[in-house]
Amino acid sequence: MKRTLPLAIVLVTGLLGVVPFFVPHPSVQLADELIRNKLLRIISMFALILGLGSLIRHNIEKIRRRREYWQYSYVLLGSLLVTAVIGVAGGIGGTGRLPTAIGGFRFDIQTLYANIIVPLGGTMFALLAFYMSSAAYRAFRVHNFTAALLLVSAFVVMLAMVPLGKSLGTRLSDIGQWILIVPNTASKRGIMIGVALGVIATSLKIILGVERKWLGGD
Amino acid sequence: MGWIERLLTIDRRIIFAIIALVLILPMIFPFGFRTPVTPPTQKLFDAVDAIPPRDKVLTISADYDPQTEPELHPMTIALLRHAFATHTRVLVLALYVQGLGLAEDALTTVVAEFNGRATSPQDSIVYGRDYVFLGWQPPPIIPILGMGTSIRQVFPRDYYGNDTDTLPLMKETETYNDMGLLVSVSGGSAPLWYVAYAQSRYGIRVGAGITAVSVADFFPYLETGQFSGMLAGMKGAAEYEELVERSLAVGGRRKAMEGMSSQSAAHIAIMAFVVLANIGYLARRRRKA
Repeated sequence: MKRTLPLAIVLVTGLLGVVPFFVPHPSVQLADELIRNKLLRIISMFALILGLGSLIRHNIEKIRRRREYWQYSYVLLGSLLVTAVIGVAGGIGGTGRLPTAIGGFRFDIQTLYANIIVPLGGTMFALLAFYMSSAAYRAFRVHNFTAALLLVSAFVVMLAMVPLGKSLGTRLSDIGQWILIVPNTASKRGIMIGVALGVIATSLKIILGVERKWLGGD
Repeated sequence: MGWIERLLTIDRRIIFAIIALVLILPMIFPFGFRTPVTPPTQKLFDAVDAIPPRDKVLTISADYDPQTEPELHPMTIALLRHAFATHTRVLVLALYVQGLGLAEDALTTVVAEFNGRATSPQDSIVYGRDYVFLGWQPPPIIPILGMGTSIRQVFPRDYYGNDTDTLPLMKETETYNDMGLLVSVSGGSAPLWYVAYAQSRYGIRVGAGITAVSVADFFPYLETGQFSGMLAGMKGAAEYEELVERSLAVGGRRKAMEGMSSQSAAHIAIMAFVVLANIGYLARRRRKA
């Protein structure tokens, strides 16, 4: 039963996901609509609650056992509590029951997001520019003809991705576009078709119960 | 240490310092580049322009987060300027919760710009009449497929908690059939989901605004016509800003254009580092041989 029931659920839900794309009959479409708009939404809400619960439990456990970097768990739990209270009770833009402004100082959810999350996220991603520069300098070597070809293509596309390519008075920008449209598209299509066939094969194996590793065990 | 070794062992702190300089200085002293418009951007501009303003709506799916905000946020702003300038009504939604705050920021900014210039209620951009912010419904497959049968069923309430049945625009916008174009501005694969699920099943036209790093992955979809147009990275956003300003005489801050000088300088700096390292590498190889 422990194996049969999950396999049956996967078979039924897998078929329910595929069939509406091929059968336009109103009863099938209605069932599909019901599953998507009601069932799936309810399941996803449970998943959110489960995820939230798991996150809180994991961090409380981390603090209790004093695991590595346990102090940051306080930051996470504190931020979670503050944003949840402000978001739920303060409303969007401070229109809820909880006051989210003291004089000119606003701390509604949109203000917090725009002034904390956005700069923090941007900063983290901006670090990539520095690491990528350093990595390109250390790793990009013209070992052979293929590497040289890659280097030249990369330079042309890099120049094509900024206005400088056109400002240089050359056809670099056009060549960059050509690289993206012709050789890149040709190779990507081959890869995409291969991946799609692989996904179909794997999905069928899972739906039909041939592939059972996801159940755990051997 | 010889010159070859010096070329091969530049301290990474020096690299970081140079990159910081080439990013910051052009922001203060921009190069004043012109932004020639590339075909993918022109295609998207034409596709938005071709939406019949009183018949169909433009839908913008803000599927990005703060990490990709510098590249993608100017696209959303430019698209909104274009739509409002041509009196095209707009629906905005997000497939991820992170996109909500950014979409709200873009709407607030552009609506304030237009309403600041408006001389009559007809010129003003009014919520519910000219645009609706639908918000977010997890998981992404629900809004992507659900909007094919009923948008109001997927979003019974908008982002601000209004009943969508009460909004004039939503009374005229039932399904994908009422959308002239859907543009997914995304740092991930969201535009492909719209192609795979919404376009294949309901025939919606899809446009994409993507990060520069994903350009190679998305070009095949543009070539097949599955994307009606594409904004590729910050340059694509700058090109769209240029088109909106030049063709529609709509002003406003052009953040993508402001970033072009820094991006150009950074690309040149990275190329210079790679060239220097390879000169050192080839010289050492020749010496050993």
